[in-house]
Amino acid sequence: MKLHEYQGKEILRQFGVNVQDGKVAYTPDEVRTIAREYGQPVVVKAQVHVGGRGKAGGVKFSPTIDKAFENAEKILGMDIKGLTVNKVLVTKAVDIDAGVEYYVGMIVDRNVQSFTLMASAEGGVEIEEVAAATPEKIIHHRVDPVTGLRPYEAREVAIKAGFKGNLNKIADMMVKMSKAALERDAVLVEINPLFIDADGTPLALDTKFEIDDNAMYRHQDLLSWRETEAEHPLEIEAAKYGFAYVKLDNGNVGVLGNGAGIVMTSLDVVNRAGAKPANFLDIGGGAKAEIVYNAVKLVSKDSDVKAIFINIFGGITRADEVAKGVIQALNEGILTKPVRMRIAGTAETEAKALLAEVNSPLIQMYPDMFQAAEAAAADANKADSNTAGDKK
Amino acid sequence: MSILINKDTHVIVVGMTGREGANHTKAMREFGTKVVAGVTPGKGGQTHEGLPIYNSVGEAVSNHQVDASIIFVPPAGAADAVLESAHAGVPLVILITEGVPTVDMMKAVQEVKALDHASREEGGKGVRLIGGNCPGLISSGECKIGIMPNSIYAQKGRIGLISRSGTLTYEAGKLLQLAGLGTSTTVGIGGDPVIGTTFADVLPLFEADPDTDAIVVIGEIGGADEEAAAEYIKHNMKKPVVAFISGRSAPAGKRMGHAGAIIMGNVGTPESKLAAFKDANVPVADTMPEIIELVKKVLNK
Repeated sequence: MKLHEYQGKEILRQFGVNVQDGKVAYTPDEVRTIAREYGQPVVVKAQVHVGGRGKAGGVKFSPTIDKAFENAEKILGMDIKGLTVNKVLVTKAVDIDAGVEYYVGMIVDRNVQSFTLMASAEGGVEIEEVAAATPEKIIHHRVDPVTGLRPYEAREVAIKAGFKGNLNKIADMMVKMSKAALERDAVLVEINPLFIDADGTPLALDTKFEIDDNAMYRHQDLLSWRETEAEHPLEIEAAKYGFAYVKLDNGNVGVLGNGAGIVMTSLDVVNRAGAKPANFLDIGGGAKAEIVYNAVKLVSKDSDVKAIFINIFGGITRADEVAKGVIQALNEGILTKPVRMRIAGTAETEAKALLAEVNSPLIQMYPDMFQAAEAAAADANKADSNTAGDKK
Repeated sequence: MSILINKDTHVIVVGMTGREGANHTKAMREFGTKVVAGVTPGKGGQTHEGLPIYNSVGEAVSNHQVDASIIFVPPAGAADAVLESAHAGVPLVILITEGVPTVDMMKAVQEVKALDHASREEGGKGVRLIGGNCPGLISSGECKIGIMPNSIYAQKGRIGLISRSGTLTYEAGKLLQLAGLGTSTTVGIGGDPVIGTTFADVLPLFEADPDTDAIVVIGEIGGADEEAAAEYIKHNMKKPVVAFISGRSAPAGKRMGHAGAIIMGNVGTPESKLAAFKDANVPVADTMPEIIELVKKVLNK
């Protein structure tokens, strides 16, 4: 679960990290009240679950109370990468020139089978850009998941990264961040910029915090932070059925299969066939007809989808159950788009018999995944070019 | 011969009385696996399908020869179950469970590695964890400790298979079988970001196995396990290796089902994986059927 900046800051504050003061507002009037209370320049920052808020105009320095109000009017209601801004964080502005900006972060790192702590003197910019252009400017350090980060390790990392300031305070801040990451099951925590003022004291100006969805059961207190409106409506519905579902941009072929690996490969195959996948949908292992029916229903609802490619390799999953689910969708009139299937494995013969009985041009089975994907791609592209023709 | 397991491997099933545990115990026995007991805390003393159930792995180990355990415990208790088996002295632990919190896995994997090291120092067998979120492992015609469909692995072949994806493991297994090549041992290492055994850990076992002629590595986007495997192959392997990478068209930043299948920044991209395999002289198949063509090619060398 991705957290907003203000929520990530709240968690870090609970672990003792020195975080810049700020308050959340939903209206320009509330922003004015907060700015008045702070009595100094403020920054108004859009709270949406996407990166690049600053570049999109979602973060504005506000030297006066009136300017804060004005900026709030601009930012609230704004569209950033498809998401509407409905709240802002108002923070006390910091005189950046009076200090330095650094980067620190912790990320789950498959390569070291633990968290890696990253630190860089290049703060305030996207760390990915630093990583791509000057990877030597980022210091990496594996954090022991049992002991957490120790102060001496934090000091070593800070020294290697070239941090200037009060070394003990900076190290202490990093240790507390590490504690927050481990105890709150973070997938990613970033403090960027980490501001070091003229006295050498660290202050977190912005954060990213993402929590492991598999561990949410032990963070029930944070469940109220989950915002379904920030997700695609079909993703919310998919979550209800327990599917792993991802909506993909600019696609026209709905893709579903049994298992993350086979669905990923199905996306690749659709691309090779000259169409674009509209989604990733894993029905999981051992799916019964009802689950397949729900999956087909869900994908059919997506107006981008012009044809559906189903790729099943039955192990625990029975091919005849898959066929039954698709047939049910057809019988109920839900299925209006062509379904091109490749079903192999357990109960393949029974599935073929069921589909032969129905004998609908909307549902067709193919001997391998390439033929099925090519058929779905051809149907989808044809439908797209027909609609494009209608518009002319 | 085979790696890690064979027809004499004695297996216990942790969580045998649960739905998944029960179904797969049955399928494993049908395949010929020597399942000797089950473990379900609170159900000790009962029997299931004619097998004794114990309250703890320790009890099972003191009553039976146990060479491996397979774990079907729900996510919240899965890492604990791994440590129970490892501390009881089971040398091979297979975690099937999907959705285990990553921090739990980090701690468990680290502890298992420490136990492995200590055991080997004392001249013991060590401890190896495979998974989580994996289909297990299977030596064709001999032993299955996992959840794969039995039919694909009846006949013994001479190709070793290692994969991060369950379904693609079956797909590749089926293709190898249809091509008349077949598999020696298949190891599903799992799709999570933190797992017990990586490609690079399995490769030396195949290199040393007299009954494996070539190895197929099925990777995916995310992480750098494939790059590490390529590095290992480049410097240490004499046997030919063929690779496949799933999810090459997936967009960056989106998690594709597997928690480990996500491209973060410039790490885990298909390009870096392809480049690493190229550098190690490992041919990479564009499609699954092409794996077969490439395997035939490397075998004819």
